[in-house]
Amino acid sequence: MSSFSVKNVNQIFGTGTAKVHVLHDVNFEAEPGTLSLIMGPSGSGKSTFLTIAGGLLTPTSGEVTVNGETYTDRTKKQRDALRLDSIGFVLQTYHLLPYLTVADQFKLVDKVKPNGNLSKAELDDVLETLGIEQLINKYPGELSGGQQQRVAIARALYPNPAIILADEPTAALDGSRVKVVGELLKSLAVKHHKAVVVVTHDARLIEAADHLYEMQDGYLTKK
Amino acid sequence: MFLALKEIKKEKLRSGLIIAMIVLISYLIFILTSLALGLARQNTDAINSWHVDQVTLNSSANTDMRQSFLTAEQVGKLTKKEALIGETSVVAKAAGHKQLSAVFIGLDDTQFVAKNLVLESGHQVKQAHQIVVDDSLKLEGYKLGSRIKLNDSQTRYTIVGFTKNAKMNIAPVVYGQLTTWQTLRGLTNGPVASAIVSQNMHYKTTKQGTKTYSTAKVIEKLPGYQAQTTTFVMMIAFLMVISLIIIAVFLYILTMQKLPNYAVLRVQGIPSRVLVGATVSQSVLLVVSGLVFGTILTIITALVIPPAIPMAFDIPVLSAVGAGLLVMALIGGLIPIKSVLNVDPVSVIGG
Repeated sequence: MSSFSVKNVNQIFGTGTAKVHVLHDVNFEAEPGTLSLIMGPSGSGKSTFLTIAGGLLTPTSGEVTVNGETYTDRTKKQRDALRLDSIGFVLQTYHLLPYLTVADQFKLVDKVKPNGNLSKAELDDVLETLGIEQLINKYPGELSGGQQQRVAIARALYPNPAIILADEPTAALDGSRVKVVGELLKSLAVKHHKAVVVVTHDARLIEAADHLYEMQDGYLTKK
Repeated sequence: MFLALKEIKKEKLRSGLIIAMIVLISYLIFILTSLALGLARQNTDAINSWHVDQVTLNSSANTDMRQSFLTAEQVGKLTKKEALIGETSVVAKAAGHKQLSAVFIGLDDTQFVAKNLVLESGHQVKQAHQIVVDDSLKLEGYKLGSRIKLNDSQTRYTIVGFTKNAKMNIAPVVYGQLTTWQTLRGLTNGPVASAIVSQNMHYKTTKQGTKTYSTAKVIEKLPGYQAQTTTFVMMIAFLMVISLIIIAVFLYILTMQKLPNYAVLRVQGIPSRVLVGATVSQSVLLVVSGLVFGTILTIITALVIPPAIPMAFDIPVLSAVGAGLLVMALIGGLIPIKSVLNVDPVSVIGG
């Protein structure tokens, strides 16, 4: 059984002459331990797909399921709770809270979700894997872009979600770092048994992917 | 609270500046309140020290004790709960001292006001040429045994006692006998007092030409008292409103700057209530810190302020003012809440 699936999702914005059909009958599945790459040009519907996949937007039709739980028909509050429990986000520009140290970024999750997060040993293992175990008491402003990206990945993993959704995770990185991040996401998928879904237009990540999809004018096709 | 504390710790300069602003506002409000209270008390300390509920005056005196004269017939028979007061303005003079404007209060030694007068030093008035004075006269160099003249009279009055908080119309009170009051006013026959004060809250006279007022009414009608207290109350009220606006603007700017961060937290599933809690607790922490430092400054001021400056640091009143400031800050902190609740997590997806 897939840990994450999107079935027959359509998204239409506006009405009448301003109506825009952004997603057309999108179907998608992601298995634990795999890295899926969704590629496509700007404006193709990748971000809309990600917002629907992450429960931030209710689709016009269709459903999204995480670990067998459909959440497209849930309330905003219920979707918040599901997102906190089951979906880890890695965003394009890291977006770590500037006034929290790396350690505090995890403590904040503990405050809101006291149970089900990674244990101390598991977190230490993740930090070591990401090579940021020495940065635990640093503020985001004291870290390089690559280090911030790795902290953001650790932050996304910490609540122990079923899936990781990454939005252009290499957009702010130079060429040598892109390959490292690709391998990192792949190893996290395998080692932590997560379904990792990366939305990107960066073709350099293809070699790390188990599955490759292409989004074109709102249509998603598997390659 | 976690987020608020962490942000204050990290952004020390920004938080420090906001706290400094709240310190200054609260200090200004505390000092103005103490000054208003001090001045108000200097108008009423003497009356308040008598602990009376009702005051009977001549009905033509426009509720002004100094303009009131009561004849023996109008006074009638008094109980133990009533006492006669004779009030007049005087100028005290003594060799080697500056002239001093004061209020002379003539009392009957056998009645409760004279009996209950709490002395800081010396003894009660026993003879016509003895007086008990407010202890502020000590600052002018007077002491027990000092002899002073009142108005143009050649009679010298000996200070036989000092009493605290004996002020009326922002002037020190000189307590003496009712006969002295009559002498000072040039009343050899006729009026025997300015007022009858009573500890009986139901006391009322039916004598012709007299009218009984509540003590609060008489205080309210003291010359200049209402204008002065209203001015201070208005100043404090405006300061409260201004502080609300300033705090609200600062917190609004702070919150607006954090909305992108809050959007990310919303993406991660952090509930809105956590973000609202962070915003409100940040407001409370900043304002409470400001109030604490403002209070410390006020305490230091209270310790070093010269006694001649009429300030009264009344803890219950200042606590109420502090609580009022906190409420204003909370209201100010609630203004950006709508923006926090409406933060759109989608805004951080897709760069």
